[in-house]
Amino acid sequence: MASRRRVLLKVIILGDSGVGKTSLMNQFVNRKFSNQYKATIGADFLTKEVQIDDRIFTLQIWDTAGQERFQSLGVAFYRGADCCVLVNDVNVMKSFENLNNWREEFLIQASPSDPENFPFVVLGNKTDVDGGKSRVVTEKKAKSWCASKGNIPYFETSAKDGVNVDAAFECIAKNALKNEPEEEVYLPDTIDVAGARQQRSTGCEC
Amino acid sequence: MDEEYEVIVLGTGLKECILSGLLSVDGVKVLHMDRNDYYGGESTSLNLNQLWKKFRGEEKAPEHLGASRDYNVDMMPKFMMGNGKLVRTLIHTDVTKYLSFKAVDGSYVFVKGKVQKVPATPMEALKSSLMGIFEKRRAGKFFSFVQEYDEKDPKTHDGMDLTRVTTKELIAKYGLDGNTIDFIGHAVALHTNDQHLDQPAFDTVMRMKLYAESLARFQGTSPYIYPLYGLGELPQAFARLSAVYGGTYMLNKPECKVEFDEGGKVIGVTSEGETAKCKKIVCDPSYLPNKVRKIGRVARAIAIMSHPIPNTNDSHSVQVIIPQKQLARKSDMYVFCCSYSHNVAPKGKFIAFVSTDAETDNPQTELKPGTDLLGPVDEIFFDMYDRYEPVNEPELDNCFISTSYDATTHFETTVADVLNMYTLITGKQLDLSVDLSAASAAEE
Repeated sequence: MASRRRVLLKVIILGDSGVGKTSLMNQFVNRKFSNQYKATIGADFLTKEVQIDDRIFTLQIWDTAGQERFQSLGVAFYRGADCCVLVNDVNVMKSFENLNNWREEFLIQASPSDPENFPFVVLGNKTDVDGGKSRVVTEKKAKSWCASKGNIPYFETSAKDGVNVDAAFECIAKNALKNEPEEEVYLPDTIDVAGARQQRSTGCEC
Repeated sequence: MDEEYEVIVLGTGLKECILSGLLSVDGVKVLHMDRNDYYGGESTSLNLNQLWKKFRGEEKAPEHLGASRDYNVDMMPKFMMGNGKLVRTLIHTDVTKYLSFKAVDGSYVFVKGKVQKVPATPMEALKSSLMGIFEKRRAGKFFSFVQEYDEKDPKTHDGMDLTRVTTKELIAKYGLDGNTIDFIGHAVALHTNDQHLDQPAFDTVMRMKLYAESLARFQGTSPYIYPLYGLGELPQAFARLSAVYGGTYMLNKPECKVEFDEGGKVIGVTSEGETAKCKKIVCDPSYLPNKVRKIGRVARAIAIMSHPIPNTNDSHSVQVIIPQKQLARKSDMYVFCCSYSHNVAPKGKFIAFVSTDAETDNPQTELKPGTDLLGPVDEIFFDMYDRYEPVNEPELDNCFISTSYDATTHFETTVADVLNMYTLITGKQLDLSVDLSAASAAEE
C-alpha cells in the first residue's frame, strides 16, 4: 500500500462566480454542502489523498478564493497546475459560454509546455436545481464543446447531492497524474521557513 | 462596485498586499484595486517579454534567451533576512503555505579593492583576509560582547548605556580599524551610510544580533533567504490571504480617483464611472501624488548573465555590499544576484542587479563600480526612479500612504513601514514575536 514516492498533484478549479466551485471542493474533500451562497470566503486549498491503482497521491485542490469575480487571479495561482477543472452552472448559459474564456486564460497564465495536450476536465454543476426544470445547457451542447477542445472529459454533477462528484475527481486525479513529468524535474532544495526551530545564536567569532 | 467598504487599498505592491491581508484577517471589509493587470506594482517580477517591453519598448525578447515565462525578474530586488520582520510576518499570517524558499548562497562585502565573504563561521573568520591577526582578536572580543548583550541584563552591558554611547565610541573601546568598521557597519549591521557612527550604538548592536540570528536560523552560508519564482510571489501570496478572508480584488482598474468630502476626508474611489465608498484609503505614492514629496532617487542596473558573479565561489545567489567609503560616495551600493536555481531564469542563466541611492543623473556611470563586478553580461538595462514619502495627516484625511522602496537588498525597512502603517490605520500593534519552535510546518 505504501507509495514509493509521494506525489503532490496540484489541481485548480476555474469558472464564473456562483457556479459551485467551492461547494464541489467541499463535497469531495469534506462531504459537506451549504445552501448559503456567499462569494467565496475562507476557501483556500484543500488536500485529499487518493489512490490510483496501488499508489497513493496527494491531491491539492486550489479554490480561487473569490479572486475570479473581477478577473483578478495572479500568475502564482496558475503555476504548476497538473490539471485544470472548468466549472459551469447548467442553469446559467453565460457560465457555460465563459468556459472558453477561462480555458484560454489558463493557457495564457500557466503557459504549459504542451498546451495542446494539457488535461482539462469540465463539470456541469447544479443539475439538482428545480429538479432539472431550469436547465438551459444541454448535455449534448456541453459534450460538443468539450469534443471540439481536444476531447475534454465532461461530468454532470450536483455538489448538493454529491452526484458524480467522486467520479469527476477520480478522472481529475488520473489526468493530473498523466501530466506529471516522468523524468525528475529540476527541484531546488527549499527550506522550511515556518517549521525550522530557533537555533542558538552564534555570531561571527574569531 | 458601487458598494461600501471600510478600507480601499490602491496598488498591489508588497506593502499594500501585506496590509490588505492583515486587515482582512482582522475582519475589516477590504476592496483592493490596481491599475495594472498584474500583482506587485513597483515591486512586481516581470517575465522576459514584460521586461523587454518596459526597457526596450519591444513586444518580444530575443529567442536565444529562452522562454519568457521562465523569467521572473524582480523590479525591487531584496533578500529576506532569515530571522527578520518579513519572515516573522509570513509565519504570523501563515502565508508561508503559498511559498517555497531557498537559502541564499553567499553574503559578500567589497573591502580593500576585493570582493570578500562576510565570515559565517569562526573558521571562515580565521581564514578571512578582511582582518589581520591582531584585528581578529579585537573583533572577536567585540563580537562576543554583541552576542552576549541583553538589553534587560545590565551585567552584559560592560558598563555602557548603549542608548547613550555612540557606535563610534563603542567601536573605539574595542580598538577596531577602519576596514573592520566598514564591514561590520555595512555588511553585518546593514547600515546604508556612515551616519550610524554618531548615533547611539543600541540600533547597530541589535542589527548585528539580527544578522547572527538570521545566519543561525537556517544553518546556511548567509543570513538571507529568497522565494522560488522571485519576489513577485510575495504580494500575490498576501493578496490571496486577503481574498481568503473576504477581501475583494479588482485588477486592471484604470484611473482610480480618490474622492474627498468638503472637509477633505476621503469618502471613496471612482474608476470607470463607478464609485465605491470607504472610510479609509491605503495606497502607494503613485495613487495620491499630491500628498507625497520626493525624498530621493534610486539608480538600478538589471543584467542577464550566463555565469555567477566572479569571486563569489560560484554562488547561484549572492549579495555584495559596497560600503560608501570604499567608493567615496554618500550611500552604499548593493549587488544582488539570483538564478535558475531559484526558478527566476532558465537553466544556466543568472539575473544580477546593482542598486544605490542616486547621486548623479547618469545611472550607467554611477553604477559602474557595481556593474564592473559582474563580469560579461548578455543583456543589461538601466533605470532611475524617484522615491516618495507621505506628507499628509492621516487623522485628517484618512489616507495612509506607503513610502517608496529603498535601494537596500533586504526588507527590514519595508516591513517597518508596513507595521507603522498598520498601527496608524487600526490603532493596534502587531505582535510578531513568533514562537518559531511552535510554528506548524508548512504544508507541502
